[in-house]
Amino acid sequence: MNDRLSFYRKKNSPIHTLNPFTKLTLTLALIVIGIVGGGYWTASLAVCLAIAPLTIFSKLFGDYLRVAFRLILPTAGFMFVMQSIFIPGGVTELFRIGPFSIEVETVQRSYLIASRIFLMVSAFAFLLLTTHPSELMTDLTRRGLPPQFSYVLISTLQIIPQMQAKAQTIISAQRSRGLDTESSFMKRIGLLVPLVGPLVFGSLVEVEERAIAIEARGFTSTRVKTFLHDIPDTHMDKIIRWALLALIIVALASKIWLS
Amino acid sequence: MAIVNLQNITYKYPLTETPALRNITLQVEEGEFVAVIGPNGAGKSTLCYTLAGFVPHFFKGELAGSVEVAGQESSQSTLHEWVLNVGLAFQNPFNQISGAKYTVFEEIAFGLENIGVPREEMKQRVTDAMKLTGISDLADRSPYSLSGGQQQRVALTSILVMQPKVLVLDEPTSQMDPIGTREVFGVIRTMTEKGMTVVLVEHKVEWIANFADRVIALYEGQILLDGKPGEVLTSDLLVEKGFGISRYTSVARKAMKLGLWKRESLPVTLEEAVEGFTR
Repeated sequence: MNDRLSFYRKKNSPIHTLNPFTKLTLTLALIVIGIVGGGYWTASLAVCLAIAPLTIFSKLFGDYLRVAFRLILPTAGFMFVMQSIFIPGGVTELFRIGPFSIEVETVQRSYLIASRIFLMVSAFAFLLLTTHPSELMTDLTRRGLPPQFSYVLISTLQIIPQMQAKAQTIISAQRSRGLDTESSFMKRIGLLVPLVGPLVFGSLVEVEERAIAIEARGFTSTRVKTFLHDIPDTHMDKIIRWALLALIIVALASKIWLS
Repeated sequence: MAIVNLQNITYKYPLTETPALRNITLQVEEGEFVAVIGPNGAGKSTLCYTLAGFVPHFFKGELAGSVEVAGQESSQSTLHEWVLNVGLAFQNPFNQISGAKYTVFEEIAFGLENIGVPREEMKQRVTDAMKLTGISDLADRSPYSLSGGQQQRVALTSILVMQPKVLVLDEPTSQMDPIGTREVFGVIRTMTEKGMTVVLVEHKVEWIANFADRVIALYEGQILLDGKPGEVLTSDLLVEKGFGISRYTSVARKAMKLGLWKRESLPVTLEEAVEGFTR
């Protein structure tokens, strides 16, 4: 089992030393600029020219590529294919697949949506690879975000590696009872069915037990919270955040004025 | 002096007709170690949740009667204040990890952060609690990288560090292997030696016989038996009602019918059985 149950990878890089709120602002800035920038290639350029170099700078390019190929690309690729085939509205036919006509305009729009999804998930993957949920929660709570919101946020961000670990346990248990999980692709798709029930119901039970466990440790206490560690927030962090905020405003303003 | 005082507790979960607890009246003395046994559906976990304030603050439902700990009434308190009176740990150690902390040390400090303990005091309390439960060497490890027994000890330490007056443990060793069970019982024994009041729900009767001052047998939401471990754990009523009993008690009971067990009282532990058969 993944001993962290999160995407976070500890490295000695300047990005890792940034305040979590700065990295969250950077993530949001990348998403906003990539989306409001218009054009079919803006989101893809944001991934190639910003996120990829940032992950190299963080010494996590390999980890990012793994997440991109295992998780983000299949998701975005699936959406691209489905949208290209099933969303109507195009004019210029590119080619046909049986009864479905694939049009240039639909493919362009599907690419735009898929590349934006790729950008959004990549930006959050960058955040999660370089920021431990504990630091993010502490910093957001210290800044006044209700701890319940911070907890929901970090729980959501950790849900993928946790579900992966749980699914792996269930698959191992089912395999030990004779379930064939190493056959053809279609057969393996069919095997997802017996996995879904235990995964979903197990997760629901887990949510209730975890809620009891954190309540038993005074999570909803109305006392003023204290923190074991200080999360550094340097002058440079503040400059970066203001610069990113300015970029977001410029991107939004240019979108409004130029459209 | 009774630190826990339950008076005529009857409780029904929301959307249910049958009460999970029926007319429970129970006092626990300060420093006493009380073990609770019972078959599935007997109301053991509900009793734990009631003592720990989760009934009715978390589970809602209909609660009649009064729950008093250290002179405070549960219904007059909030859950986040009540947890300073009663600490609760339960079966699955994995689900008791907050998921919000990077190391064991931070995980244990999580509760103290929530209740606003100053940083230096927090560090001292975490260090002391870890020393007490013998997990100081795990301080920098990820809670997710630990074995089940280690995780359960972290969960127990996370509760102990809050310094509750009463510790309620709901089958803390049910998912443990023998090594994990020994580790967890080691912590419980340390706590009882320090004079902490402990209420433990447990099926491993040999362990209970070794450690508990008193045993309560719950059946269908009611107290069936309440007394010394040796009396309760060897009672014929337990067999009649389908409780799990010690293998040594079963063997001695059969031996008694064959005239091979000469003593009046039946054994619960291996040591008692050996002594009974050899002397």
